[in-house]
Amino acid sequence: MSISGSHLAVQRHVEYIQSLDTQQDDLEYWLTEHLRLNGLYWGLTALHILGHPEALSREETIDFVFSCQRENGGFGAAPGHDAHVLYTVSAVQILVEIDALEELDRRTNEGRGKVARYLANLQDKQTGTFAGDEWGEVDTRFLYAAINALSLLDCLSMIDQQKAVEYLQACTNFDGGYGASPGAESHSAQIFTCVAALAILGKLDLVDTERLGCWLSERQLPNGGLNGRPEKLEDVCYSWWVLSPLAVIGKLDWIDREKQLAYILSCQDTEKGGLADRPNDMVDVFHTHFAIAGLSLLSYPGLEPIDPV
Amino acid sequence: MNLTKINYEADEKWADVVPILQQEGENSLAQIAYTDEYSQATSYLRAVMASNEKSERAMELTEHIINMNPAHYTVWLYRADIIKTLSLNPVKELDKLEAISLNHPKNFQVWGYRQSIMSIIPTLPPKELSFLAKVLAKDAKNYHVWAYRQWLVEYFSLWPTSEGKGSELFFIDSLLTNDVRNNSAWNHRYFVLFGRNVESVMPLDIFTQEINYAMAKIDTAPQNASAWNYLKGILRKQKKGAKEVEHFALQYVSLEDESKIRSSHALDLLAEIWAGEASDKACQALDLLSNKYDPVRANYWQYRKSLIKAAQAA
Repeated sequence: MSISGSHLAVQRHVEYIQSLDTQQDDLEYWLTEHLRLNGLYWGLTALHILGHPEALSREETIDFVFSCQRENGGFGAAPGHDAHVLYTVSAVQILVEIDALEELDRRTNEGRGKVARYLANLQDKQTGTFAGDEWGEVDTRFLYAAINALSLLDCLSMIDQQKAVEYLQACTNFDGGYGASPGAESHSAQIFTCVAALAILGKLDLVDTERLGCWLSERQLPNGGLNGRPEKLEDVCYSWWVLSPLAVIGKLDWIDREKQLAYILSCQDTEKGGLADRPNDMVDVFHTHFAIAGLSLLSYPGLEPIDPV
Repeated sequence: MNLTKINYEADEKWADVVPILQQEGENSLAQIAYTDEYSQATSYLRAVMASNEKSERAMELTEHIINMNPAHYTVWLYRADIIKTLSLNPVKELDKLEAISLNHPKNFQVWGYRQSIMSIIPTLPPKELSFLAKVLAKDAKNYHVWAYRQWLVEYFSLWPTSEGKGSELFFIDSLLTNDVRNNSAWNHRYFVLFGRNVESVMPLDIFTQEINYAMAKIDTAPQNASAWNYLKGILRKQKKGAKEVEHFALQYVSLEDESKIRSSHALDLLAEIWAGEASDKACQALDLLSNKYDPVRANYWQYRKSLIKAAQAA
């Protein structure tokens, strides 16, 4: 492993992502089966930001996405897995990313309407939040995922948006952040989901941007890295979870950009490609994606811009 | 983890079941590599689920798969279904869960499953809180465990009526005594005191009590963001401003003698208190923060200063 802190090793990272589906002999590979469709989204998005959208086959990508779709319209993590909102949003995002949303209407009977109905049915009519699947666990991650996918499908009118907004409001905490449910501790990733959902619903005026920006910028540590909660270790995935809501509320300049850039670059493996949670750790596609997305938010030269929502 | 290989095809008990194999497209992308044992077990699970079989052997099958891959969420849900259908003893199931919960404390399914089993139990099982204490002793900031504990507080109405032994406040205090920087514990404190859905009657001195509590904890570690955030949260909830803690914060700050500055959070709070009537001092505090005590957020502190300047000019 070789670490370098000055430039993004674009070519190495592209090769790393391409190599992911050829490592099927690894134990790790089948243990992460439950994340397969998410993994494809992370890899593909990283490639798009790196300017190499062609590095994965478009046809094979589309075929794989559809092989994960279930009877009820939702998508599972992999073929044969039950549908869940987190995989359904990845499926929709992938199709949008490679401009293949019309495949939904072409390949399936009821097309995007069926996917949208699956998502809309996950909303709890009383509280406004969303369950992850038909079994009912709730979390603002699911709410964001459903709202994002419904918005991409242009079907937001199928849900009670006002109720969803009220629920998001109830997740605001005494420290200015947001948690996974009303009363749950503020966490950078949950803040991303709540703020992004409010942005999609056109309700950013409800965000106390000064207190939230203060809390988010407090996540930067002297070494430049960002953490998810006070007194926790830094991790490169927070380069997305913290920077994205800061970008949405227009306070990205409240963190030290140079230090954060240097931190992200120090997490890359310049020899074999990929980025890790911290310098010298093992790389994976999750951290590779969030690190590159964070660099894009910070306008790192040569990268495609990413929408923070 | 069960290390003995289980072979369903060779087991007479399963002879009547025709396993349903994974249907996999020919596409190479993201194809899944399984071990034989896992692949066989899940083939039998598909068969059992297809015929909606709720039985003792199906229970064993779900346990086998969970041990190989606790992140397989469908299998957890099916197991909960079996327990409810067969009216199996839920408390016994919780005992069974203990080992896997301690081995995979960050697994989402383990805690969602626990909640679904707990919700068919009418009163709080006596061992539950000591079990949670054990999990939190391994990782006192585990987000799933805290979310679950909040659900438990609401479900069994464990809202504190005192700070006595066995109460939520007593437990939180023991965690904060152990690590005063445990932000999860601070959050839980706020939740149990102010998080009730129904507007309950709060003791009149609850704000005084909590302000004093936070100040005492801050004094043990003046550079601890969590305790200061809690203090600010309580002051905000009280809606009387922060003036009453000015004297307290000044213990950790001196604008005349920088060697006496022991807390950037005290500087921050004082800058907020001074912003109105003592704006020069507020600006001085903000400059100290951006130049010396928290330079990583220099832009934020300068923004705060610009607000004061703008108010002065208006």
